[in-house]
Amino acid sequence: MIRFKSILSRIVILHVIAVAVTSILMSIGLWWLLNLATSNIHDQAMQTQAEAVGRHLVAQADGRLSLELPPDLHGLYSQPYGRYAYAVVDADGHVLFSSQAEAAAIFPVDPGADAVQFLTTRKGNAVISGASLRLEVGDHAVFIQAAEDLANRDVLTDDIVTDFFRNVGWITLPILLILLVTDIAIFRRALLPLRQASEIAQQIGPASTDVRLPVDEIPSEVRPLVSAVNQALDRLDQGFRIQREFTADAAHELRTPLSILRTRLETLEDRRVVSALLQDIEAMSRIVGQLLDIAELDAFAIDPLDVADAREVCSEVAEFIAPLALEQEREIALLAVSAPVWVRGNAEMMKRAIRNLAENALKHTPPGTLVEFVVDEDGTVSVRDRGPGISDAERELIFRRFWRRDRSQPGSTGLGLPIVQRIAELHGATISVANRATGGARFSIHFAAATARRTSASVTPDNSDRLRQP
Amino acid sequence: MRLLIVEDNMQLSQLLAKGLQSAGYETDLLATAAEATAALITTSYAAVILDLGLPDGDGLSILRELRHRRDPVPVLVLTARGGLQDRVNGLRSGADDYLVKPFALEELVARLEAQLRRPGQQLGSSLQVANLGFDLRNRQASIDGEPQQLSSRETAVLELLMRSKGRVVSKKQVEDHIFGLSGEVGSNAVEVYVHRLRRQLSDKGAKVRIHTIRGVGYLIAGEKRDPL
Repeated sequence: MIRFKSILSRIVILHVIAVAVTSILMSIGLWWLLNLATSNIHDQAMQTQAEAVGRHLVAQADGRLSLELPPDLHGLYSQPYGRYAYAVVDADGHVLFSSQAEAAAIFPVDPGADAVQFLTTRKGNAVISGASLRLEVGDHAVFIQAAEDLANRDVLTDDIVTDFFRNVGWITLPILLILLVTDIAIFRRALLPLRQASEIAQQIGPASTDVRLPVDEIPSEVRPLVSAVNQALDRLDQGFRIQREFTADAAHELRTPLSILRTRLETLEDRRVVSALLQDIEAMSRIVGQLLDIAELDAFAIDPLDVADAREVCSEVAEFIAPLALEQEREIALLAVSAPVWVRGNAEMMKRAIRNLAENALKHTPPGTLVEFVVDEDGTVSVRDRGPGISDAERELIFRRFWRRDRSQPGSTGLGLPIVQRIAELHGATISVANRATGGARFSIHFAAATARRTSASVTPDNSDRLRQP
Repeated sequence: MRLLIVEDNMQLSQLLAKGLQSAGYETDLLATAAEATAALITTSYAAVILDLGLPDGDGLSILRELRHRRDPVPVLVLTARGGLQDRVNGLRSGADDYLVKPFALEELVARLEAQLRRPGQQLGSSLQVANLGFDLRNRQASIDGEPQQLSSRETAVLELLMRSKGRVVSKKQVEDHIFGLSGEVGSNAVEVYVHRLRRQLSDKGAKVRIHTIRGVGYLIAGEKRDPL
């Protein structure tokens, strides 16, 4: 059994087979009916002719029969015309009268036959077909045979049959093909709402879980499926909402106590204890913040129309991170072309990714060295450090959640690079990791270049450098 | 100077009140959006510290109503929500600044003072980094209290850096600040002024450093932070 992927192709192919079979059967049937009809007409005509000849058969006083045909009938049976012939034959097979020169019976005589017989015989190549009529004239029983040479060029009835295919038969095929085309059109139209529903379904993503498929236009046969899909979406939406609410609630529940703890600590007297405890709180806050970032990213989708200036994004991250870097005795530099570098992406998300790369670089670059942001015109953003670099064995590990090279190092969560990777994924961007020839690691995110200037919902530049995230 | 703290967690708001008191501010504490809205109509505060998660509604609604009335009181939003959409919404609704919990009290005070020092706001006019002072009213720099003579452009650069102490000032901001819309800006004009300012300050014994963040901008900080 052939399996069809598309309902439409299944319909078309089955329909073509049906059309082929139907057109053959229909032609045979029509041909048969036409044949029947023409041979009926022929038989009736022959019987009528035999009857007409019989009416002119007269019994003489001496008991013999005479045949006086009027001129029109005479002409009909004339030899040169050759289309029709008659013969009057008695019960013994003697030919009494004949239109033919050789005066032979057209059909062999069967004395026990019905009053009317329709017979066909062959004479050379010609097919002679006609009627034999038994008639009592006086006390004689005679058989009047009237026949037509079907090969005569004036015979039209069989021409109708032979011409049928040439002149009429071909019409069935186009008619059936038109039917096929009409069927396809009807079917496509019937499937249109389904196609529209699929287009709507394509827009559904984690960030647009409120979209539902339209049910009104859907054919009733498919409606249960579409309704079931909508119900499934309801359940998914619910799940996403619960997750989003959980993220917001968790943020509140975790950060407010941390705030209280921190503020309480700051009023303590012993500065040494305070600074140690504050470091612990910083580390804790960082883990909470990154966990919440991960949770938010898992239910986030980038608007595909968003466009951001990679140079501006890097510049803002560099401004944000520079004071921290100086505090830690590291330097920051931005190497970029002077013109904006437009890429497809959400500015805030890109900022988060680059910030995590920068924090990672700051953690590994030794004091007194430089962490560089590089923005290329093709939309590639790189962060370079002077740290120990990344070994081949670590190349995959570093993007695993909670993986850390050195578990004793405080403030390291193992979530920074996974966040970077997730944001790159959301942007359809790739990350490459390389060791620099002069020492240190280089992380690059290759964003897709864009030309349009629809910037993503971003905070105003005036405020953004002061935005603080733990 | 009186501040309004709108925060439903009483522990936190009392701790904030205590911290702000030691920084020289009086505070009123309110825990609901309804109370806060009422208080803001009748009382004029120097600034508002607003928590977004309130039991009777979103803190953003208070903010929108304030801005709808064209009340320019500086609003510093506190939130547990660091989510992207929350941040954008907060700033669009008219927040002047935004702090995600947990934050350092020191940071809160610094941000508050930055807001209060903006034109039209109430805070006094003197900025200090290490032994370098800057009086905003008469645009006078001083080292160890001794007034210093600087050129007008050097003063302009210093003012901008001092106003943004601890933060990076972009090169573009410096250009705009010194030259405004008028005049051609030479490609390294800013570098020249920063260089001169740096030398002047170090010659006169200021214990500050103006860091160059290559490709980004400048930052002024006390010297102790910089053993580079």
